[in-house]
Amino acid sequence: MKKFEIRYGAVGGQGIITAGALLVDIAVELENKFASESPTYTAAVRGGPTKVDAIISDEPIEFPHATAIDFFLCTDQRPYDIYKERLKDNAIVVVDSHLVRELGDTRNWTVYPVPIINETKVGAGNVVLTSVVSLAVTQKLTQVISYDHMVEHIRHWAPKGTVEMNLKAIEVGMNLIK
Amino acid sequence: MSARKVLQGNVIIAKAALAAGCDFFAGYPITPSSEIAQYMSKEMPKLERTFIQMEDEIASLGACIGASLAGRKTMTATSGPGFSLMQEHIGMAVMAEVPVVIVNVMRGGPSTGMPTKPAQADMMQARWGTHGDHPIIALYPAFAEEMFSETVRAFNLAEKYWNPVILLSDEVLGKAHMDVEIPEPGSYEVFWEKPRQIIDLNIYDRNIGENPPRVDFFHGYPIHIDGLEHDAHGWPSFDAKTVDKMQKLRMEKIYQHLDDIIRYKEYFLDDAEVLVFSFGISARSALPAVKAAREQGIKAGLFQALTVWPFPRAALQERFKKTKKVLTVEMNMGQMKYEVERIAPPGVEKQTLLRANGMSFSPDEVLNAIKEMVR
Repeated sequence: MKKFEIRYGAVGGQGIITAGALLVDIAVELENKFASESPTYTAAVRGGPTKVDAIISDEPIEFPHATAIDFFLCTDQRPYDIYKERLKDNAIVVVDSHLVRELGDTRNWTVYPVPIINETKVGAGNVVLTSVVSLAVTQKLTQVISYDHMVEHIRHWAPKGTVEMNLKAIEVGMNLIK
Repeated sequence: MSARKVLQGNVIIAKAALAAGCDFFAGYPITPSSEIAQYMSKEMPKLERTFIQMEDEIASLGACIGASLAGRKTMTATSGPGFSLMQEHIGMAVMAEVPVVIVNVMRGGPSTGMPTKPAQADMMQARWGTHGDHPIIALYPAFAEEMFSETVRAFNLAEKYWNPVILLSDEVLGKAHMDVEIPEPGSYEVFWEKPRQIIDLNIYDRNIGENPPRVDFFHGYPIHIDGLEHDAHGWPSFDAKTVDKMQKLRMEKIYQHLDDIIRYKEYFLDDAEVLVFSFGISARSALPAVKAAREQGIKAGLFQALTVWPFPRAALQERFKKTKKVLTVEMNMGQMKYEVERIAPPGVEKQTLLRANGMSFSPDEVLNAIKEMVR
């Protein structure tokens, strides 16, 4: 893997920006890769469409913004419509099957419509765990980080008393993709 | 485990400032620079250093100038609108010869412009924003490691030459989170001169070309520090001979030390047919473009200015002896291109890639501009 670009799209509050931060932290701190990440930070983070672009590479990153996206995960229609640009023809696309209903031209993408938000609420118990569920979905579909490093990092990162629910969220994410 | 961590660009600058010994920060938050003030406000009290949120940017730089004279290493951070407000005090710091580091994380302008969009449109304001003839030092890192090292260097140069140093950044670099290895203390130079006890009152008296020493002010001596032109003692003077000398003292302390002040990076320039001149985020668009050009058999190279003022004139002139095509890439409607044009000898083809709409250049756009020049 020379360079892999990941974009998460959501509406502010769903926690997707955390997923981007977790992903690059794992890649850099545990896997000694190079990474950069650019999240939305405007008023949109309070309910508007948000995104975070992450780049993970075996080599130092020169241009820090995404230019050809390999993997796109999106949990709402509005950010899907805005942020589906710059995807590669053969990108992997994961969308929330309840909240993204109009896919439009899907080119040569491999699309996985799955109930991310609903399963997070029901299976993991709290919608704020969307970040960790999305991280697990990313790991399963791309192997851009290893499963073991993901679990190790989440164990350390999760605030006291929330480790079990975060590990449960990983399980939910892994099971979302058959 | 890696020694590298992912940090936001603004946070790298804040960390570097603390590592350089910054012990006084006065600022007023503004997008896209706010995390610098935010980080300082959290960390400085823990280190028993001073953070003040001021009522505006004018007061922020005023407080830094005062604290600097009282022996502190000072910094403020802002973006375009705040930088405009600071211009008067930048002149004051130049005139009174006061070290201070001013960070400008550039965003789209003029006026409030585009707070969340990047630009490189304050290049000339950094040079000529304050009125009157004056020397200025402005640094502009591009990569994460440089954001640390150039911040430390900004403090060192301010202290050495008793002049304001402007540290430029932009919305992309400030807001992006990048992997970076923060160097261990001791692995980089931190310049600090112990304040000299006042032995006579002629605090500005020195030979042309010499750096002013740090003076231990506020210990019972009647020292006068003023924005008015002054004599060696600091008292106002408009005597033509005195003014001549003071102007030269201020200019030559910088211009006789260009080797120490000017830094740049050169990539693939030895046999380059096209030299791309750039800095900051645009240099990060240009580097992969130059590499891609090489892969396609086009001899392109990158000259990345780290010191933008004084302009790295001599190094660039040296390159124009062999390279006869230059492409200036900058996120504005054309500012540093004029510096390139005035030193490029006749016979050098000069092109530009310019834009000020809030979108950084993709590497492909730079590559296409390079290709246009070799068609």
